[in-house]
Amino acid sequence: MNRLYFFSLFLGLHPMGLVAAEQEAADHWSFQMVKRPVLPEGQGNPVDAFLGRRLQQEAVPVNGPADSRSLIRRVSVVLTGLPPQPARVKAFEREFSAEADKAYMALVDELLASPHFGERWAQHWLDTIRWAETNGSESNLYRKLAWVYRDYVIRSFNEDKPYDHFVREQLAGDAMGAGDATGFLVAGPHVPAATVGQQATAIRQARADRMDEIMQTVGASLMGITIGCARCHDHKFDPLSIEDYYAMSAVFQDIEFGSRNPEFSDEHPRKKRSAELWGQVAGQRRILQQTGPWQEDWGGYRELHFSPVDAVAVRISFKSPSVGIDELEVFGPGKVNLNLALASRGTKVSGPEEMVQDGRNRITRINDGEYGTMAWRARAPNKSEERPWALLNFDRAQRINRLRISSNREYYFETDYLTTKPGFSFTNFEVEVQGKDGKWKKVASTWWIENGLNKKQPARAAAVKKLKQLAYALAEEGPRPSFVGRFIKPKITRVLHRGSPENPAQEVMPSAPEILSGDLSLTSANSGRKRRSRFADWVTDPKNPLTARVMINRIWHHVFGAGIVVTGNDFGAAGALPTHPELLDWLAAEFMKPGRGNSRAWSVKDMIRLLVHSDAFKRSSAPRAQGLQPDDALLWRYPPRRIEAEVIRDGILQASGRLDDSIGGRSYRIHNVKKTYAQWQVVDNHGPGTWRRMIYQERMRRVDDRIFTAFDFPDCGQVRAKRPVSTTPLQALNLMNSPFAVEQADYIAERARRESGEGEAAVRRCFQLLLCRRPNADELRECMQVAGEHGLNFVCRALMNSNEFAFLP
Amino acid sequence: MSAEKISPIGRGLLNRRDFMRNTGFALGGLGLADLLSAEDPVNFSGKSSIRPDIDPGNPYAPRPPHFVPAAKQVLVIYCPGAVSHVDTFDYKPQLEKLHGQKPPNIPAVTFEGPSGNIAKPFWEFKPRGQSGKMTSELLPRLGAMADDFCFFHALHTQTSAHPQGENFFNSGFTMEGFPSFGAWTTYALGTENADLPAFVAINDPRGLARSGKNNFGSGFLPASFQGTDFNSRNPPANLNRPVNFTAADDKATVDLLQRLNGRHLERFPGDSNLAARIASYELAGKMQTSVPEVMDISNEPAAIHREYGTDQGSNLKKEYAKNCILARRLIEKGVRVVQLFNGSDPSGGNGITNWDSHSNILKTHAMQAEIMDQPTAALIHDLKRRGLLEDTLVVWATEFGRMPFLQGNGTGRDHNPDAFTCLLSGAGVKKGFSHGESDEFGFKAVKNSTSVYDFNATILHLMGLDHERLTYYHNGLERRLTNVHGHVVKEVLA
Repeated sequence: MNRLYFFSLFLGLHPMGLVAAEQEAADHWSFQMVKRPVLPEGQGNPVDAFLGRRLQQEAVPVNGPADSRSLIRRVSVVLTGLPPQPARVKAFEREFSAEADKAYMALVDELLASPHFGERWAQHWLDTIRWAETNGSESNLYRKLAWVYRDYVIRSFNEDKPYDHFVREQLAGDAMGAGDATGFLVAGPHVPAATVGQQATAIRQARADRMDEIMQTVGASLMGITIGCARCHDHKFDPLSIEDYYAMSAVFQDIEFGSRNPEFSDEHPRKKRSAELWGQVAGQRRILQQTGPWQEDWGGYRELHFSPVDAVAVRISFKSPSVGIDELEVFGPGKVNLNLALASRGTKVSGPEEMVQDGRNRITRINDGEYGTMAWRARAPNKSEERPWALLNFDRAQRINRLRISSNREYYFETDYLTTKPGFSFTNFEVEVQGKDGKWKKVASTWWIENGLNKKQPARAAAVKKLKQLAYALAEEGPRPSFVGRFIKPKITRVLHRGSPENPAQEVMPSAPEILSGDLSLTSANSGRKRRSRFADWVTDPKNPLTARVMINRIWHHVFGAGIVVTGNDFGAAGALPTHPELLDWLAAEFMKPGRGNSRAWSVKDMIRLLVHSDAFKRSSAPRAQGLQPDDALLWRYPPRRIEAEVIRDGILQASGRLDDSIGGRSYRIHNVKKTYAQWQVVDNHGPGTWRRMIYQERMRRVDDRIFTAFDFPDCGQVRAKRPVSTTPLQALNLMNSPFAVEQADYIAERARRESGEGEAAVRRCFQLLLCRRPNADELRECMQVAGEHGLNFVCRALMNSNEFAFLP
Repeated sequence: MSAEKISPIGRGLLNRRDFMRNTGFALGGLGLADLLSAEDPVNFSGKSSIRPDIDPGNPYAPRPPHFVPAAKQVLVIYCPGAVSHVDTFDYKPQLEKLHGQKPPNIPAVTFEGPSGNIAKPFWEFKPRGQSGKMTSELLPRLGAMADDFCFFHALHTQTSAHPQGENFFNSGFTMEGFPSFGAWTTYALGTENADLPAFVAINDPRGLARSGKNNFGSGFLPASFQGTDFNSRNPPANLNRPVNFTAADDKATVDLLQRLNGRHLERFPGDSNLAARIASYELAGKMQTSVPEVMDISNEPAAIHREYGTDQGSNLKKEYAKNCILARRLIEKGVRVVQLFNGSDPSGGNGITNWDSHSNILKTHAMQAEIMDQPTAALIHDLKRRGLLEDTLVVWATEFGRMPFLQGNGTGRDHNPDAFTCLLSGAGVKKGFSHGESDEFGFKAVKNSTSVYDFNATILHLMGLDHERLTYYHNGLERRLTNVHGHVVKEVLA
């Protein structure tokens, strides 16, 4: 028997092996419902009870408690991502020596209540789903206002939103007044349809790839399954079939990568503000209405308003010899958001065919409902008096009063930071309508509005100006198109044989994997929102064996440095087994249905509190004095580890006193404004504009920030359960020589002198600011020498680069 | 052994011991221990993975290949934008005959739009060298070296879009986030010269290629294995001592740092992560000397400068020629992987900054060729003259080809994913050899058709690595450069 044949049995290819393998797969531990295990005998923290039993079995003695300084540094970084401030360290040391437990519990509560808690844990969540603010792929365009999702995540962790609710909102927030939460679904990279060329096969493939990104996000982050492995064939290791993959993809068929106005509940501040602003818009419009038609500039499009009129057809005649228009919409006074021009409503469009140079840019582009580069482009022949025009014929008479026209609305609303901000590729135009009687009449001319009306009536000009300001204010402060996904009409989903969109096979109904009792009682007729809502119900059902386990494991990973299951995104057969299965299950059970007083179901903060209250968390990280080091997974000590890029950068800025620690909002930008097809270039990664916490640094796919990318900052391409920790000479060079490091060393030195005076006091202050401790006599002497001969900034530079600064004690 | 070191799939297999007992499956004489060894995880191919034993204290230490390699180092010359095979190395006399016609079977629409009529090569083809290989006048100097080259004429790829094409060629996947070829190779092999980065990406003077950092990134591998990017003009970021600091300032900082770290290490004796970080500062210090040294091409003889062409032609060519000299110096110093780019993203407009040539191919390809031909030929020739090709594999590559017909009857050619040409030269490959054929138009690969997986598998093979056994566990799979595909093209091995 050859080796390959032998393996084919494992892979379920042999008839006998198949049955056995399936049974084995169904029995896989993580697919069984969570049952609360009995707590081991003894008092104290349940975490210690489980860990202690294993330590006892293995006869591994544990370390004593960490000193108070290490402890405050450790717990501050784990909970908030920021090292403690010197004054807090001093106070804690005092309180701790008086009453250790009380001091520590108070500190934990303080840190959990800090608004920086949400920033720290949001960072972990964004890592998990490889969230970033550019597309990756062609042009790697910026995703405008994607950051409203980051704000949502930070807010959710700070509010301690129950995890099941957090998950629901991210899957179906559009139905829950939390439209910003669906940024989750479009966190991954994507290839825009417009950039894969003209071949239908490539366009279909790109859509399938985008769906796969959504599948990977959902599968890895919420379920801990590698669902992507079932895209082309049944999963090789887990009982997930190719049908499961496509059935689950049907749940998300209404999602497309793009922007929309997030749905907000009435209490949302943006919602309230926009109501005010829209009131003012209406006021200005009333002024204009009295004196004739008018035009509004909304940045991404222009809107022409005129008195309501019944029309069977509309003709727009342009004054410029060439035009580029991606969409032309017509609205009436009735249903104000119903676009009557859409081809799908039966409206026919025509224009001067001889003026179109490229078959891709036919007139039908203007009423196809698609914004972006695929536009109608027409050019009149040289020296001709002819001008481009468009004629819309409705299927029946419509009452209309408004026309909206744009050149590339997608670029305006979905991206930013391009040198060529799309303006309008048309100037003035006239609108005529044909009544039911067949007669044509002119309803507006933009030239006349400007020159015949606005210029002659100051009140009109003022109102138009005010409207432009309001449009801008709405864009900044109101709900506005944000990169949190857009909705499309879901198509019937079919299994794609071998993963190829060119080989569609049988229809599948939206459902979760069969092995996980994933029937959602849905059909292809159900709306996308309903599909996602049902899926959300299923995934957050306490009977779901994965959801709680996967999240508890993530929390554990970020508290202790490694998960109970080290492959945090893979709880399948190819993933690692839990080091402490009963502990994991007990915690998962407790997470969903707490048995301890005061604890709330699905409370992330309560679970973190439980973990950091354990003796295991409070242990010293010192290595064994001699002999073999036991496995750190047993937690006989707190395993020391290198802190992440963010903690290094934030910690330095905090030490220098330059950190702007305001919460939320727009990202700080380190890159240039670029040409559409160019690569982003880092232009300023150190100036005052960047002195915010690094979670607010624009996450750019494919961009090396020239300092912290080298510290395993994720490239946000593939989902990753954890960041690798590597050590490279580039890290050393960046932290020694980058302008950021050099300038901050100066600022820290300056601050130390300002706060403590010159000499030894200043050196002591630098140690406090960066290492939370006093220097010993040797260190003080050495540092005084360097400070004297070279400058205090060189002492700071060395401290910033020290292992003590870079490792969590 | 910590849990982390065991491959999850290896562990998964261990769990199956029970399954086999329970099913009463007879194992016969099979070496169960061998198969179920925790050190010997299993990947898709059914072959066991070979996991490089990486010392965290020295991730770049040289590591043994899987078998005796033909090549110890590799130089990849990458031409973003898609070089037209039918105008360079893939001679199709039929195009002359059918010039201006539109034979059946030509699709109505290709990547950028409607297809036009067949266009004969824009440059004349001539026989070269002993082999009489027909290559065009566009690249006369490279053509003159045809006897040293091993051409792949039947390559095909998975995409018609540049960024995905670059991703696919350089990381084995069209999607984002996978480790580059150079990262895989240094992950496996480390490097011989501890004073220089193991993997250097020499970017075009005009900037990064379309996929940017993906082409030399580490993806989900540790950041240690990402390419360090610099060229003859720009050193790696933050390499140099800050301008206002003296050497004494720098030394004082480093000395103080080492003392601080030394004392800290006493509290954590034997902690390899701390020791590794201390070592990384020493290596950084060495790089501060060795990198400027290797970048300084001013003391190369005038004849070398002339040969590479740093002194004549367009400014871009002169800059690229300097990068070529740098590439040779890096290979000479033992750098494991050097990736040299000839072209950048098209920020300057269509076809201006790389090989993309949808219109006016006569001008755009000629401009690129002027930059590439002489310096690249000189580089390969120089490596040969110095005997470096004994141990070095040279790869010349692009992401796809161009169409044998015009784009919309304009003046350029659209993307062709179904046939294109790349070449190998040097250690381990046949000389003056051509593998595979495209059809009579150069439209589709027809004979010995070669996927990018096959091509990458072959390069890894030449480096002594089995592409099916070089893996890294990531999200449920032992991932490979070649996904679950690829066959070594044995026909080209010398």
